[in-house]
Amino acid sequence: MLKPASVPGYFKSVSQVVSNQLNTGKQIAILPKKSVVYIPWSSTSPAALSKALPTGNVSVSVGPAVTSQVRWAHTDITVPDFTNYRRDGTKNPAAKSDKSEDSRKNFTYLMAGACTVGTAYAAKAVVTQFISSMSASADVLALAKIEIKLADIPEGKSVTFKWRGKPLFIRHRSASEIQAEQSVPVSSLRDPQHDNDRVQNPSFLVVIGVCTHLGCVPIANAGDFGGYYCPCHGSHYDASGRIRKGPAPLNLEVPPYTYPEEGLLIVG
Amino acid sequence: MGFSNTIYNSIFKRTSTMALAIVASAFFFERTFDLATETFFDKYNEGKLWKHIKDKYE
Repeated sequence: MLKPASVPGYFKSVSQVVSNQLNTGKQIAILPKKSVVYIPWSSTSPAALSKALPTGNVSVSVGPAVTSQVRWAHTDITVPDFTNYRRDGTKNPAAKSDKSEDSRKNFTYLMAGACTVGTAYAAKAVVTQFISSMSASADVLALAKIEIKLADIPEGKSVTFKWRGKPLFIRHRSASEIQAEQSVPVSSLRDPQHDNDRVQNPSFLVVIGVCTHLGCVPIANAGDFGGYYCPCHGSHYDASGRIRKGPAPLNLEVPPYTYPEEGLLIVG
Repeated sequence: MGFSNTIYNSIFKRTSTMALAIVASAFFFERTFDLATETFFDKYNEGKLWKHIKDKYE
């Protein structure tokens, strides 16, 4: 608004001195700029209203309910020295960090890898301990084997041992017995098995003395086939421990055994 | 620079090679660590173990 009281301030007068030193006395009055009538702004459209509304963070900085305390970011606080926390490759602020990138990564991964190696070692030790605690102990394993001197068994005789709580028959067969068992046609057997598949050394038959019918202990050198005879239900086994007659369905079981040296038999 | 770059690219960059390296080094670590601890144990208990006094009784 151009108020009447301020109008004289807009008038200025300048005297111009002409170089020929002739004062023409002419005065140039500079007129004030064209006065603009200020029309109070009013929002009549949403676009105009959005310009008038405050945007950004609106905050009250002064008032009866707010504190007037102001925190200033002081420039006299020194930046802490982080040198102790920096890797050697990044201590120099002028050095390019990607020059030392691989060695810094290598260090980190090497530490992680070393920890993993140690953990893997410990985990393996723990698992091994647990698993080995499940296996049989040394005294049980020692009892699980039986060592037999074959020279103590005369030819034609069947000797009974105890092995893992079961009777073990070891029979020193004569040449005629071997001959007879070798020549038995396999197709005629209930549980077809050749004599060679049941013995490692034809002179000695090693079988578990438990009848495959109901678990009685057969009698040696008895029965129709000159081998074993089960008195419970009359099963006849031959000199190779094979079922030949009676109710038993299978041949006498052959345990795992080895001949580590001449004249010595280890069963188990 | 060149050496660490090679190590990083060949081992640590991929999880598969990292795991393989860990398993392989765990194998050698186990042998070395067990041997070292066994040797230390025998040295620390010199004269007390059965294998040290065995020859007196056999």
